[in-house]
Order: sequence, then C-alpha cells, then structure tokens
Amino acid sequence: MKTGISTIVTIMILFLAGSSLLAQKFEQPVLISSAGQSADVKLVKMLAQRQGLNATTVLMAKPDDLTGFKTLVIVPGFSSKGLGAAGISQQDEIERVQSLIKAANNLKIPIVLMHIGGNARRQGQSDSFNQLVADNSKYMLVVKQGDEDGFFSSIASTKNIPLTLVEKIAETAEPLGNLFK
Amino acid sequence: MIRNHLSTIIITIITATMGVIAAISFGKMHQPEELFPSEGLTGKVMLSDYFEGIKGTNGDTEVYLFDSGVEGGTALVCGGAHPNEAASFLSTVVILENLKVTCGRVFIIPRLNNSAFTCSDPMEGFPASYEIPTKIGIRKFRLGSRVTNPLDQWPDPLVFSQYPSNQQLSGFETRNINRSYPGRPDGNLTERIAYAIIQLIDKEKVNIAFDIHESSPEVPIVNVIVYHENYEEIAMGAILGLEMAGLQFSPETSPMNFHGLSHREWGDYTNAIPFLMETSNPSMGRLRGKTDVDLVLRGYCDNYKKAKETGALRIAYREDTGEPIAHRVGRHIAGVVELINSYNLYYPDMQIVIENLPDYDMIMEKGVGEFLNN
Repeated sequence: MKTGISTIVTIMILFLAGSSLLAQKFEQPVLISSAGQSADVKLVKMLAQRQGLNATTVLMAKPDDLTGFKTLVIVPGFSSKGLGAAGISQQDEIERVQSLIKAANNLKIPIVLMHIGGNARRQGQSDSFNQLVADNSKYMLVVKQGDEDGFFSSIASTKNIPLTLVEKIAETAEPLGNLFK
Repeated sequence: MIRNHLSTIIITIITATMGVIAAISFGKMHQPEELFPSEGLTGKVMLSDYFEGIKGTNGDTEVYLFDSGVEGGTALVCGGAHPNEAASFLSTVVILENLKVTCGRVFIIPRLNNSAFTCSDPMEGFPASYEIPTKIGIRKFRLGSRVTNPLDQWPDPLVFSQYPSNQQLSGFETRNINRSYPGRPDGNLTERIAYAIIQLIDKEKVNIAFDIHESSPEVPIVNVIVYHENYEEIAMGAILGLEMAGLQFSPETSPMNFHGLSHREWGDYTNAIPFLMETSNPSMGRLRGKTDVDLVLRGYCDNYKKAKETGALRIAYREDTGEPIAHRVGRHIAGVVELINSYNLYYPDMQIVIENLPDYDMIMEKGVGEFLNN
C-alpha cells in the first residue's frame, strides 16, 4: 500500500515537473547580450532571427538597455579578442554583467542562458561568466559539449532550473523559438 | 715543431670541412621544396609581379592561379605566414595539388613569408624539417620560423611601431608579417611583402581571402574562424555548416583596435572578405615536452593531457588522440570549403566553385600524404 502511494506521488511529481518544463514560456521582445564578449552571441542573434523572434542584440547591454524588454537572453563565454575589441578588462565585463543581471532581477525580467560554444567556452576564464549567468537564469539551453563534466546539469539540478541539452548549435534554434511560442 | 704544424693543419682541415658541410646544409634551407600543382593550374607568377620592391629578395614567393574561365568571384588562399605552423603550409599544398575550379578564380600562396621558411626560431629546438609519406615516396618539408629571417631584416628595434597605426609592439614583431599589414612600399622587407600582398588583392579584385594559421593549445584563439565585423553572416553560416559536418569552430571577431593582422587590415584596406583560421598545434605550445617531428606530425603530448585534466586553463587538446596533422589539415580545408560555400550564398553573382578537395573524414582516414602528388 505504502509502495503504491509513493509510486503515485512520484508519478505526479514527475508529471508536474514535466508540465512545468513544457509550459516554460517567455515573452517577447527579447534582449540578447553577451557575458564575456565571445562572438557566440552573434550566432544566437542569427538563430533568433531565423526563428522570427522580436529580438535585439546589444553586446554590452547595460541596465538601461533593459527598458521595454520582457526576456533577457545571455550568451556566456570568454573571448580575449572580444574583450580587446570592446576595449575592456575581464573585471569590467564581470561588473557589467553583474549589474545587468541585478537590474533584470529587480525588473522581474527572466534570464535565459544560452551556452553554445562547447568546450571552447568552458573552464579557464569562461567559467566565471558561465557560473554567474547560470546561477541567475530561469532556463538554460546548452550544447552538450559544454556540459561534458556536468557543470550546467549540476547547477540546474541544485537550483531547480529547467535545462535543455542539445547536440549541435543548429539544434538550439527550435527550442529557443519554442520558449516564446 | 713539425708536429705542431701538422696538428694545426689537421684541425684547420677538420674545421673547414665541418664549415663546408654546415654551409651546404644551411644553403639548402634557402631552396624551397618542389610543389606539384594539380592539372587545374592555369598560371604561376611571383608576388614581385605585383610589387617590384621585393624582387630578388627572399621575400618573393610563388603565386599559383587556378582560373576556371567562367566568370565569377576570386579567392586567395594563403599558407605559410608563420612557417613554424606546419598545417598552415601543408593545407595550402594539399589544396594546390588537388584543386579544380569550375567557376571564378583561386589564387594560392603556400609560402606567404618565404623568408621565414629559410630559418627556424632560436632557442625553440624545432626540427628543421619533417617528412610525409605519400603514395609514391616520401616528401620532405621545411619547418621554418614565425618571423622573417634576421639575415634578410636586421636589427629589430626595441619597440616595433606598427605602420600606419603606430601601435607599439615588441621589437621581435617587426619581422612578423601578420603584424605588418597593410605594409608600405619603402618599409622593411616584411612591410614590403605585406604591401605586395595588398597590391595583389587589389589588382586581382580578390573577393574572399584566407590566412591559415596554427596556435598553441593553451592560447584562447584556437580552433577558431576570425572574421572582419562587416562579414559576420558569412562566418556564422560557415560555422553552422561545419558543425553539421561534425567540426566545431568558434567565431571570433577581429578586434578593431589590434592592427597589422590580415583579418583586420585586408578587410579595412581592400575589398576582400578576410578570414583567418587557427588549429591547435602542441609543438608550438609552452607546455610541450620533447620537440621533435613526432610532436609536429602526431601532435600527441602528455603534458597537454595533464594540463587539460587540471582544468585550470582552457586547453584545446584532445586527450585521446592529440592533434595530428591530418586533423589539423582536414579542419583547415573544411573551413576554406565551407566559408566559400557560405560566401556563395551571399554573393550569387560572384560565385566561386571549387571541387576535388578531400574532406575531413577522407584526410583522417587516409592521411595527408594520400593527397600529395609525387
């Protein structure tokens, strides 16, 4: 009897969790920004365009740029060339991202993490950005190679954040579009 | 007395003999290895045909032309900007020896900095050459230096002031061609070579240009396509296409404020669409162990395996297989093909159609030598 009840409860929990994942919807317009200035953000911009999203990309978005947007998509990943091009240090970038996230949280604008750079945007200087964005996200869309060591899965599990893992960058397009439909 | 003279004569003869042997060996460094272009080759000129200022110098180099005879766009593929990057040179040689062009034209420069092929980097312990087994026999290739031979350009300034940006760099970089663009006609040899390349791009109305490189596994800019900001869509399209073929490349924008590099200055000073690609070469890294031909070609190094396992740095190194030359050449050729495919989507009136190049899987399966002629 006891076993039967716990099975039913487990099924119900799984059903509710699944429903919540399926029901995870975000609103447009969308602001897309980078954390670490890798050019991966340009790929996400292209994928969002292909999905017909009402999205604007601002590489170095600041709190003021959030005005009028209902979802913030952040693409984390360190690039020395990107930071060099922007003329800022890694610390400057960390501080910018922190202030952006804080403002988004205050405005109740949900943050979606999109990590598409695989292991090229992991470890080293990338993980400080990955950790910061993941900790504050309401949804994570990650190319599997970037999660080979369970970095994102672990955060998702600990903080109960829905996580979608896909094999390839191109495969992020559909789940990204579905988040807004 | 006689005994003293005799020993002096013997020592002199031995020393002279060693000197002659060393001189012959050293002289051979100035003899470029023979290349065997495919049947598609339609012309061969020298870079000095575009700028006389490098004629008769070690900076002059062969420019190979594949003209389909069908109106279209023009591509330029350059290897050997840094001749210590083996896959850079070899990738262009494989393209040169297999290419067929059915629309538009392709120029190939395998030894972009020919002078740098005539020496090696001091204190690095690099092998002077490496051999690749082919269908017929063994091909031997020079492994050169990152920079112009000091015999051709000396001395280095303490601080290199890049022309025309005045960006300050280490004096050593004054001999680095990929810090010397757009060059100048009355500059040092490296600047004159750079200037000649800009003249070629202009005169031949090059639409898309490739600069092929390698880098240390621990450098962040590795396994990347670096693109000029005006041509972002072409790079992104190619990266998605390459990923579908199982090859991951990271996009990197050319910094606007870092001057002298091909991906910046070719885009700023000419109408060409520039791309620079980098593969991971453990023989170039600071963490490498014994620096020998095996490391250059097999690309396997336990030090990098250990370094990657620490997780302290991002290391572009495959623990199980290393970074063998076939993998590096295969990536570069796939990158060139996919970038041209992506370019064709955006410039349908200036198509460049290339054929007969081996794909990544073929090169991995059969080895680079299978695709070298002779």
